[in-house]
Amino acid sequence: MRIASRGLPLLLAALAIAYPWLVPNYYLVYAGALTVMYAAMATSWNLLGGFTGYVSLGHSAFFGLGAYGTGLLVTRLGVPWVVALVVSAVLVTAFAAGVGVAAVRVRGASFVIVSIALVSMMNLVVQGWRSLTGGSTGLQVPSPFPGLHRGQTHMVFFYAFLALLALALLVWWYVSRSRFGAGLRAIREDEDKAESLGVPTGAYKVTAFCLSALFVALAGGLYALWFGSLDPIFVFSILIGSYMVLMSLLGGVRHLFGPLLGALIVAPAGEYFLIALGETQIHLTATGLVLVLVVLFMPDGILARLTRRRAGPSIPDQSADQRLQEVTP
Amino acid sequence: MSSLRTEGLTKAFGGVRAVDGATVELRDGRINGLIGPNGSGKTTFFNIVTGMIRPDAGRVLYRDRDITRHTPHRVAHAGIGRTFQLCRVFPRLTVLENMLVAVRRTRLRELLAGLRDRGEVERARHWLRRMGIEHLEDAEARDLSYGQQKLLELAAVLMAEPDLILLDEPAGGVNPALIDRIAGLVRDLNAEGRTFLVVEHNMDLVMGMCDHVIVFDRGAPIAEGPPSVVREDPRVLEAYLGV
Amino acid sequence: MSLILQGLALGVLTGGLYALLASGLSLYFGVMRVVMVAHPAFLFLAAYLTYTVHTAFGVDPFLALPVTVPVFFVLGVAVQRLLVARLAPDNLAMMSVLLTFGLALTIEGLLGTFYTGSYRSISMEYATRSLTVGGVSLPYDRIIAFAVAALTLGVLFAVLVKSRFGRALRATIQHPEAARLVGIPTERVAGYGFGVGLATAAVGGTVLALITPFFPASHWVWIGKLMAIIVVGGLGSVVGAALAAVLLGVVEGVVLVTVDATWATMMFYVFVFLTLLARPQGFFGGRLAHRF
Repeated sequence: MRIASRGLPLLLAALAIAYPWLVPNYYLVYAGALTVMYAAMATSWNLLGGFTGYVSLGHSAFFGLGAYGTGLLVTRLGVPWVVALVVSAVLVTAFAAGVGVAAVRVRGASFVIVSIALVSMMNLVVQGWRSLTGGSTGLQVPSPFPGLHRGQTHMVFFYAFLALLALALLVWWYVSRSRFGAGLRAIREDEDKAESLGVPTGAYKVTAFCLSALFVALAGGLYALWFGSLDPIFVFSILIGSYMVLMSLLGGVRHLFGPLLGALIVAPAGEYFLIALGETQIHLTATGLVLVLVVLFMPDGILARLTRRRAGPSIPDQSADQRLQEVTP
Repeated sequence: MSSLRTEGLTKAFGGVRAVDGATVELRDGRINGLIGPNGSGKTTFFNIVTGMIRPDAGRVLYRDRDITRHTPHRVAHAGIGRTFQLCRVFPRLTVLENMLVAVRRTRLRELLAGLRDRGEVERARHWLRRMGIEHLEDAEARDLSYGQQKLLELAAVLMAEPDLILLDEPAGGVNPALIDRIAGLVRDLNAEGRTFLVVEHNMDLVMGMCDHVIVFDRGAPIAEGPPSVVREDPRVLEAYLGV
Repeated sequence: MSLILQGLALGVLTGGLYALLASGLSLYFGVMRVVMVAHPAFLFLAAYLTYTVHTAFGVDPFLALPVTVPVFFVLGVAVQRLLVARLAPDNLAMMSVLLTFGLALTIEGLLGTFYTGSYRSISMEYATRSLTVGGVSLPYDRIIAFAVAALTLGVLFAVLVKSRFGRALRATIQHPEAARLVGIPTERVAGYGFGVGLATAAVGGTVLALITPFFPASHWVWIGKLMAIIVVGGLGSVVGAALAAVLLGVVEGVVLVTVDATWATMMFYVFVFLTLLARPQGFFGGRLAHRF
């Protein structure tokens, strides 16, 4: 059992690395890169959502800002793409800190509303500020690898997103094993109680919010360099944000690999719908229905189903008194 | 030395003054009882002292430092711990994880430290052993009985190493054997130098355990002194019987 | 100056409509502590149904109401009984947002499939003219919208205050346990509360169809606007929501005529963030707000 649980991730990692060479065509490399991108974003989302229970439907704001930041730095200032990617992500994180201070003051549903407001706001700004962003016509970003053909670019970005995913997983894992992570989980369970135990909940939440925004912004920047053309309506769409939520919930927000598993199901399914049904809007209905079903019947996700401990309280009540008899002199 | 001192604390909800000019002084090293009829403002007083509610007026001083309007976690860092009336633990964390939530001071190095940091885990096991629930460390807190949860809550508060501990109805909803056990623990912890302020309706427990009793009525203390004196005070009887 | 006056007048008229559109949200939150993100999607579902009735039979859009209002009432009861009531109570606030978000996506996808993504609009001859009072021109469609909103809200308040059902509903909102103890079937009442909420969406959708062109994704803008209204007003406070609706309507109207449309919409989000920084529980009551 132990060997299986250690070996399985290694095997999957090896498979992921070999994936572009295993598939027969570049379309599947493209679809793979897209899936890994969503997996990285969902895992980053889970840095906030999974630990603290603050569900953000507006994380596409950070995706879009990261994308536009990188694109603008490259096109307007002629900054090398690596620098643009990093600087843009840092700027977005700083922005997230400012937003976070206001946003995490409210809990539960109010927080979700704020996150929706955030992404709508960013969408308005980017579309309205035509002179800088090109408005609703979009922004063209030159490819960082002009020597490569389209398929080779897909391969490069497949590995770039894979590295980002690995980084996000590593950070999630590290946080989950730290005292910081224990504090974040305590916030999810009972925020006032955590505060009374000395946990600076406000600072914790803002930190988690920023960390989560950082990796999503990096994904956005990579996306800008990869696709080369940014459409504000797409990158700031609530749909991207809801994909992150759906993937995480479906896989299981309490598990390291939950969002990854969710992405492996949802992203290919989305691509399949696109091919099978064409450019209709019915894929929205499919996404919506899956979300409804997950929320109703599997709110803890697939992994929780698989790893569920045996049902019912594991400690019989009377054992407390028995223990008391033993320790009371 | 003075442990906790409040001066003229006042808090109104709508038109009702839940706490009304409460001036209280606790001396270090005592077990203080806080009694009074329902609705006399005891829990609101707790909430103000621990920073969960902001007072309309008045000051809270701890060891002569003004902590009025401090956020709850800063109050905790100052050395005040508390339990809640309806015992509150983190239901879906394990017992050991519950113990490791408490933060004594905000230092980056400590926050990034691993959860299984040996020193902290040893401290956690020490307190779990003293509560008699060390065998449950891997169980999720929601699977514990109510009494076990009460012990866990107290143990988790002790992880923050408070000098003053506010207990809100420690005997509420637990069986007599456990009440005796909790009373014994409080006495032991007090003998080790911790000061207590205990809100409790079980008069036998209060009178048997406390060195000093403060009686609240309508949001302010109306009498205080050793249990034997307070028990005979006519104002106390009047407050309870509601004449 | 007259520009500002124009903005003010338009703002008040629009604010009245906002009050109607947001009233359903207050109801859902009141009876179930649920933030219904799908409310605007239902608004546009109603707008499209009105459009269909109007184009198929060539009748006045308001004649669709006898059909849409009962249908939406039943839909509302169904949503509450079949979906919302099944959620686990321990994380109801968050899960209900996700659930209704899923509903919104479902409706948007269906509308996009059946009606395509292009703009639709209903224009009635009587609604295109304007009334000019003292240099301020008031389009008839806005006046009609305001009148319908005022009438509907008036009926709603009368029902809530006077009827037995209204009393049961208010009791359920204020204290569900106590209401259950005195024999009020709170679950059924909550279902009817949802029904009434969605019935207001049927009316609101018809009005929207009359005054603005719409397409399936229109509801996202309205999620932002309506949520801003209930956050600024204080979640769960019906009166607060109405006041915030008029306030934001006026702000939007003035900014619209003095700056531009982008900033006019942006005002809603600016107000949300200002509210959260200054008074997270909302400006007009709703002390429950930050917990939900």
